[in-house]
Amino acid sequence: MKLSLNSQSNLFRAVLSILAGFIIVGVLLKMSGYSPLQCYQALAEGATGIRSGKPINLSDRGFYIGSWQGNFSPYTFAQTLATITPLLFCGLAIALGLRAGLFNIGALGQMTLGAMTAAFVGAIGANGSLKPVAGSLPHWAHVPLTLLAGAVAGGLWGALAGYLKAKRGVHEVLSTIMLNYIAINLANYLAMHNLKDPNPSNMAAQTGLIAKSAWLTPIVAQSSLTVGLLLAVAAAVGVAFLLWRTALGYEIRAVGLGAEAARTAGIPVSKILIKTMAMSGALAGVAGALEVMGIHHRFVQGTAGDYGFDGIAVALLGGSHPFGIVLSASFFGALGNGANFMQIQTDVPKTIAVVVQAIIVLLVGLRFRRAESKKPLVLAEEGWKDG
Amino acid sequence: MNANSPPEYAVRMENITKRFPGVVANQQVALRVQAGAFHAVIGENGAGKSTLLNILYGRYQPDSGRVFLHGQEVTQSLHSPADAIRNGVGMVSQHYALIPALTVLENVLLGAEPTGFGGVLKCRAAITRIHELANQLQIASLDVNQRADTLSIAAQQKVEILKALYRGANILLLDEPTATLAPQEAESLFTLLRNLVEKGTTVLFVTHKLREVMAHSHAVTVLRAGQNAGDFITAETNEAELLHCMIGARLNSAGQPLIPFGDVTETEGYAGDTWAATRPAVSGSPLLQIEGVTVRNSRRVEVVKSATLELMHGEIVGVAGVDGSGQRDLAEAILGLQTVSIGKIFLEGSEITDDTVAQRYQKGVAYIPEDRHRSGMILDFSVTENYTLGHHREANWGGGTLIHPPIMTAHTVAMIQQYDVRISELGALIPARSLSGGNQQKIVVARAIQSAPKLLVACQPTRGLDVEAARFVYRTLEQARREGLGILLFSLDLEEILQLSDRVAVMFNGKIVTVLPTAQATPEEIGAWMTGAKAGGTEA
Repeated sequence: MKLSLNSQSNLFRAVLSILAGFIIVGVLLKMSGYSPLQCYQALAEGATGIRSGKPINLSDRGFYIGSWQGNFSPYTFAQTLATITPLLFCGLAIALGLRAGLFNIGALGQMTLGAMTAAFVGAIGANGSLKPVAGSLPHWAHVPLTLLAGAVAGGLWGALAGYLKAKRGVHEVLSTIMLNYIAINLANYLAMHNLKDPNPSNMAAQTGLIAKSAWLTPIVAQSSLTVGLLLAVAAAVGVAFLLWRTALGYEIRAVGLGAEAARTAGIPVSKILIKTMAMSGALAGVAGALEVMGIHHRFVQGTAGDYGFDGIAVALLGGSHPFGIVLSASFFGALGNGANFMQIQTDVPKTIAVVVQAIIVLLVGLRFRRAESKKPLVLAEEGWKDG
Repeated sequence: MNANSPPEYAVRMENITKRFPGVVANQQVALRVQAGAFHAVIGENGAGKSTLLNILYGRYQPDSGRVFLHGQEVTQSLHSPADAIRNGVGMVSQHYALIPALTVLENVLLGAEPTGFGGVLKCRAAITRIHELANQLQIASLDVNQRADTLSIAAQQKVEILKALYRGANILLLDEPTATLAPQEAESLFTLLRNLVEKGTTVLFVTHKLREVMAHSHAVTVLRAGQNAGDFITAETNEAELLHCMIGARLNSAGQPLIPFGDVTETEGYAGDTWAATRPAVSGSPLLQIEGVTVRNSRRVEVVKSATLELMHGEIVGVAGVDGSGQRDLAEAILGLQTVSIGKIFLEGSEITDDTVAQRYQKGVAYIPEDRHRSGMILDFSVTENYTLGHHREANWGGGTLIHPPIMTAHTVAMIQQYDVRISELGALIPARSLSGGNQQKIVVARAIQSAPKLLVACQPTRGLDVEAARFVYRTLEQARREGLGILLFSLDLEEILQLSDRVAVMFNGKIVTVLPTAQATPEEIGAWMTGAKAGGTEA
């Protein structure tokens, strides 16, 4: 919608950060006695599903499930796309908050509650037995209903932090961290007690399976890729539309860039803060619902994984722009899934991908700091103009 | 230049050039200040006066040029205010830097604490020294154990001077020292400064008030657009000559203007002959009625006390007062930005006390906030987004639930032409941050006026603007007034108030202490009300 010079230079800087991240980690790999080139090749194969000409190891089989199309494994590529989905939702959630000047650390909790609520609503019509049943709701109604339930739960959880910020002055970083603990422990408690999987052999903290009518079917056989990815891309377009084509989005950006000026212009700042946190939480909540509906088909302890925090990296690298976030979520998704494959191929632990990610975020943050540290100069300029 | 006496300069700056991104603040500027002189640096806003002072105080490093103090070159060793203090230079900035919660004593000592064995503070000696200095400054009444936040602006300024002298300053720099003072307070400040000069301190002050320069200084350096425009001995010049020099009348070698201006009042704009005097008498129904309004701040302190005021259609009422007398709080209460604790506000007879800010805008209230950068604009928003701020839900501005950026931009482009905002073709889309203060203010004024309001609350509408931009604002306001707009003008600039207003209300300590027709008001009388020298009054 709005690709200014600014966002072009953002893109350029993001690419530089990524390159720097790979180079630094490459040096680390070399120092640890690995071949960076081999590692990165394996990473690329795992990320794209495109195999270079060499024969497949037996141990690779696990990652080449499903039918082959030449040198391309649709399954592997589909897993990358599936990883992108929650990253994209969480990245959008955090970016929307950032646009209003809110640092939503609570995507984890919002996603967790979204997942738990989706598991509850998705179970409508399920008889709690081992086998999934068709359920009493039609598929076309049950899927949107379950998604909506996840969005509402995440949204309310986010709105709570927004309310505390707007009306009670509690900093959102503080409240969302605390709300994360409450959400996770609440969900785990429910998964171990009231909503525990009735299967007597089950020892894990998980709920029973949701009704089949709320399942999302994989687009590629056996993979985790569902229609959720399309929803995520649609959400990115929606957030961009909201920010630059609606009065509400205009107000969100005004509050983020100059709350006092926004208030002076008659914009109800506290309402905007609450609404933004609600929408941010709803996006994270949908991510949680999708994990339940498309992958586990139940709430499992740790469903939300690290997506809530990885979303921060996604939002920062994407410059808090929805379309930048599509790119950065794709990148981090590919990195994460590629690392799994790399670990098997090269014995390099997949956590090295986290190191790459950390370095990139640090570099992005470093630029941010540099831009901040230029402020005294701007102030000086103002001092000059008003003098 | 004074060539008669031997050049014993306390300050000598040669060929100073200082660039900021996009602007040259100082270009080959020279400044020579005789030891023991009361020296003024004057110029319009943006002429580079503050920059020059800040270079001397070590806050900025010049890109090129040399600085001498008492004949010694210090260019290479002047990297921070600490270096400047070490060299005997002290500065009182436009914004005072006292820590509110500390006492006067603690503020004066801060950063220069006299310590004995093991870092123990040696207060006794310090207090003796401070009392000596206070006596010298004839401010012995100052209680050193008072908290800084309980002091008036004028007293804070004196503490700043004390602070500089305590650190051994023999060259004292003051940046616009009277900008926030009432006339009487300014007088008292200059008495103090003259005292210092008699005792051998060199005082260098920046101002754009010619009257102060003529009344108090020995010598004047005029800057224009970052360059030297002239040096004068005060006794050998006059206000007209300085003004012409300041605003760019070309001077021949003899210092005479090549293009003769009319009298000074003509070029200054509105001194003497006020607009108000030429207007028809205001009549009709009241536009705004403020009835016994009391406002409490976040600490429950009453900052506006039972204020009552009436404004007619087509009338300008100026609200004068020393900075911090409750003007901002009253203005914000009218806008709904602060809650009215007691009292009522009516617009055209209907009560608006409990309306939201947005509702008041819809009913025809417009606002020019005092703090342009904080409240008036969003600096990282584009010019278009700033211009439409607050109107973004109005269909005829291209707003609504869905907004229409192309329509908004078209409106903005029209405004840019109408108000002569100086920016490039792409102007409507660049961030407001990149505009000069005058152009930013034009946008704020245009936004307020273009909504065809009934009531305009204008706070310091020309603060920080140069003469040209200020005149533009005056013209715009006057034009709108002729069309029936009522204006409540809050300003610290008494001259501005007297020139524009039909009536003057004076605030002191949160109260409206008097309301006078401008024709009957003199600066002296208003000054007396502003400082509380006159009490009681018609409205209190």
